[in-house]
Amino acid sequence: MAVPVADALSPAPPAGDIAAVGRLSHGRTLMRSLEVAVPAAVLALLLFFCFIWPLVYPVPKPVGGSILGSGLPLWSPGHIFGTDTVGNDIMSRILYGGRVSFEVAAAVQVIGLVVGGLLGTIAGYSGGPLEAVLMRVLDVFIAFPSLVLVLAIVDSLGQSELNVIWALSAFSIPAFARIARAATLRLRDQPFVVAARLSSAKTWRILFGHIVPNMMPQLLTFSLLGAGVTIILEGALDFLGYGIPDPAPSWGKMIAAGQTMLSVSPSLVIVPSIFLFVTVICLNLLGDGLRALWGVR
Amino acid sequence: MAGSLGQRGRRLAATSVGAPGAGRAGPEAQPGTALLDVSDLRVQFRSRGGIVNAVQGVSFTVEPGRTLAIIGESGSGKTVSAYAVLGLLPRTARVSGSIRFAGTELVGCSEKDLRNHRGRNAAMVFQNPERSLNPTMRIGTQITEAIRCHLPLGRAEGHERAVELLRMVRLPAPERRFYEYPHQLSGGMRQRVVIAIALACEPRLLIADEATTALDVTTQAQIMDLLLGLQAELGTALVMISHDLALAASYAEEVLVMYAGRVVERAAAADLFGSVRMPYTRALLNAIPRVELEPHVLLPVIGGRPPDLSTIGPGCSFAPRCPDAQQDCQQERPPLKQHEFGHWWACWHPCGRGDAQ
Amino acid sequence: MTATPTGADTAGADTTTGTAGSDALLEVRHLVQEFVLRDYGGVKGGVLQAVSDVSFDLHAGETLGIVGETGSGKSTLARSVIQAPPPKHGQVIFEGQDLVRLPHRAMKSVRRDLQMVFQDPFRSLDPKWTVSRIVTEPLIAYGIGSRAERRERVRSLLDLVGLDPASYGGRRPRELSGGQAQRVAIARALVLEPKLILCDEPVSSLDVLVQAQVLNLFEKLRADLGLSYLFIAHDLALVKQVSDRVAVMYLGKLCEIGPVRDIYREPLHPYTLALLNSIPNPDPSAARRETGSVISGELPSPLDPPSGCRFRTRCPRAEERCAAEAPQLRPLADGRLVACHFPLSQVATSKATAGQAAAGDDGG
Repeated sequence: MAVPVADALSPAPPAGDIAAVGRLSHGRTLMRSLEVAVPAAVLALLLFFCFIWPLVYPVPKPVGGSILGSGLPLWSPGHIFGTDTVGNDIMSRILYGGRVSFEVAAAVQVIGLVVGGLLGTIAGYSGGPLEAVLMRVLDVFIAFPSLVLVLAIVDSLGQSELNVIWALSAFSIPAFARIARAATLRLRDQPFVVAARLSSAKTWRILFGHIVPNMMPQLLTFSLLGAGVTIILEGALDFLGYGIPDPAPSWGKMIAAGQTMLSVSPSLVIVPSIFLFVTVICLNLLGDGLRALWGVR
Repeated sequence: MAGSLGQRGRRLAATSVGAPGAGRAGPEAQPGTALLDVSDLRVQFRSRGGIVNAVQGVSFTVEPGRTLAIIGESGSGKTVSAYAVLGLLPRTARVSGSIRFAGTELVGCSEKDLRNHRGRNAAMVFQNPERSLNPTMRIGTQITEAIRCHLPLGRAEGHERAVELLRMVRLPAPERRFYEYPHQLSGGMRQRVVIAIALACEPRLLIADEATTALDVTTQAQIMDLLLGLQAELGTALVMISHDLALAASYAEEVLVMYAGRVVERAAAADLFGSVRMPYTRALLNAIPRVELEPHVLLPVIGGRPPDLSTIGPGCSFAPRCPDAQQDCQQERPPLKQHEFGHWWACWHPCGRGDAQ
Repeated sequence: MTATPTGADTAGADTTTGTAGSDALLEVRHLVQEFVLRDYGGVKGGVLQAVSDVSFDLHAGETLGIVGETGSGKSTLARSVIQAPPPKHGQVIFEGQDLVRLPHRAMKSVRRDLQMVFQDPFRSLDPKWTVSRIVTEPLIAYGIGSRAERRERVRSLLDLVGLDPASYGGRRPRELSGGQAQRVAIARALVLEPKLILCDEPVSSLDVLVQAQVLNLFEKLRADLGLSYLFIAHDLALVKQVSDRVAVMYLGKLCEIGPVRDIYREPLHPYTLALLNSIPNPDPSAARRETGSVISGELPSPLDPPSGCRFRTRCPRAEERCAAEAPQLRPLADGRLVACHFPLSQVATSKATAGQAAAGDDGG
């Protein structure tokens, strides 16, 4: 479709008159805030139910159910999501399983942010052989298909939540490092950093006073999106049987276990899938919303 | 030509102005009627801080084939007005008033009509040629795309016309340039390409929004010469938007000075600079470093900043900064009136004769 | 050649005799800066010589304006002088020390006396820092003064540049206008009490009225604090406003250098004349300069500059010699150096130098 001349020519609204006037109307700002507020609220709700609710309300145990109560359908009295094949309450398995997802996601992102961010910043700022070595090492990790690498690590370390975290961090650290390095390279040549160097400020002051604060919005939004990916990967691990060990529940394991009963009681698969889906979507939306709000590229 | 001895006078003496180019379709403006008639244009933006009155009642006309310069600083509303004429304002803008192009009202037009109007009737050249050109498309393709958007030409004819356009903007080796990418050209050459695209459908109005600001002074002179030459050849009306008064003085016939969303002075170039009336215009003129001045002389300059556009107070918007301001200036806003023949100003206490420096 | 108090260019003595200038604050000798362009895959694509054998002097208390267009190398020149990055060849002698060969530690103490103001104030100030913190940073870096003393110094500096410390100290750059932000950048440059400030197009991004205010500020500081400036701009009229001497650059080379009034009144290099002729004049009745010197053509690629004189492809006076031999910067008249085989009014200047012994009228 032919593009009209002036539109093909017109760049984004220029600085000066129009930009000085502010681009967002009331309606737009509200939309932007909603984009952030709604997913954030949903996530907050999920977190509350997974971590706090079982402490205040006597939720049935996720394990050790009686076979007599097995196979109950949705909306049964006392078991809002029914029970699974061995009689465990699905709702409580969802809640406790959710804990695993959130814990793993948070831990992996924090490790990635701190370790990966540090490595990337140092690599980007110093340049030269140090940068080359660091980035090549990280490239090796990135080159592996993530799932294969993670499976290999868990397999050698043994199954536990902590090992899953280590394994997934091997994937998140290089990702953060790349982002941090790219951001550092961009910031390093900005006039304000050059000016700081000209004032003979010490390197660590420049790094932590100027460079890191200016890349935090980008890293934070990336970590939200990364959290979503981490949850999926963790779910995949559990699905394959390499994640957290039995009998602790997790969403991935619930889906795996429910596969065989798909035609009889599909809710065994559908319920954890929905929770997984909603969580990841909210993390993505929140990440995108914050990115738009903060103007991160 | 109103006593102007600048580059403009030299060129216009040799060619005739206003002769329509060959092969142009569309309604011809009747002689004597303005090509562009802007009347009481108002533009408001709704932003977080409230309502911003970017343009507060601007009126001007552009005759076919003439050159108008709109001068102002950031926030004066000059770019917003130009965008309004082309229908390029974002949806957050509320436009009222009247913009008539060759008799057709543009305010309230549908997007489809505006798109037809853009490029065909009026086109714009922007400040940064780097951002106006698609870096991944060949130059020739960008021109033919513009041509075939409005004119029913086949591929071969479009190609031919594109090369002809490149030649018209004095781009060396136009056949070769057709296949090149923007990054292979210098800034001045890229701006020529942008002008070629703008003129692709022979619009009757060309708006140059700080088109030479990002260019070197020698390139600027070349591009301005080019624009004037094309204007004489094609009879296009030219509206130059700039903060550079010297540029306006050298190349424009009529100059509008805008401040805080309003036109505060309007006159033929020679009159404006020869006998300036608005204290704001005088302040601008005084603040330009000039080669004639001695070095290390402090420039006479007024303090303060342009007013906040979200509040419209009573009185003249320039009064808080005006060295000549008096009681009535704060209380009542002076209207823009033609006090002398061809010279409008909006001031209760304009600079007297012989005051201009 | 007699030495006069202002405008004396002892660089003339330098290039001919090689002896160091008497009171030059900054001596730049045969400066060369190159950039290696990399193609895809990091393969060396070409070498861009942004600054090519540039030499000049700058004396204490004077402002040297450097004028040039795109590709002239003026910004690169400034960066090379402050060693960010250091030049490929040449010397930068500041207060007697060659900065190019100076070790890191010694360079730190030199930086106190040599500061820079950049073009875009919003990119030269950390967007997340407050104004006070920005101006205090150099003091902290050098460990100068106690907390209270630093605060006091920053306050007085903000006052000096026309910003009320109480209301502006806590603001961030995005809450400032262009002019205000540039004042903050100037305050930061002044906080260490430097001797020489490099200004890289410091007012180009500002509106007309604000530009005049900031220029006046530069002048005031110069008079009050006895600063020296290396002032880089592309606007000739602006450069004339602030300079004592002016150097004109084209494609990495110096075309001419001399006292400001002389250069503008009587340019000797064809490029200088072309630049002066291209300036639009706000006064419609002003007399036009002699024509025939309007520049044509495009800027040659800096990667592959013309042989001999780099300006010859656009010069109306170019001849064979210009392609064969690169012109050297040589003294032509009182305090003026020109790099041209056929400078304008050479006849006039040779008459002037001949008649100087008799009449001695050619003032500065």
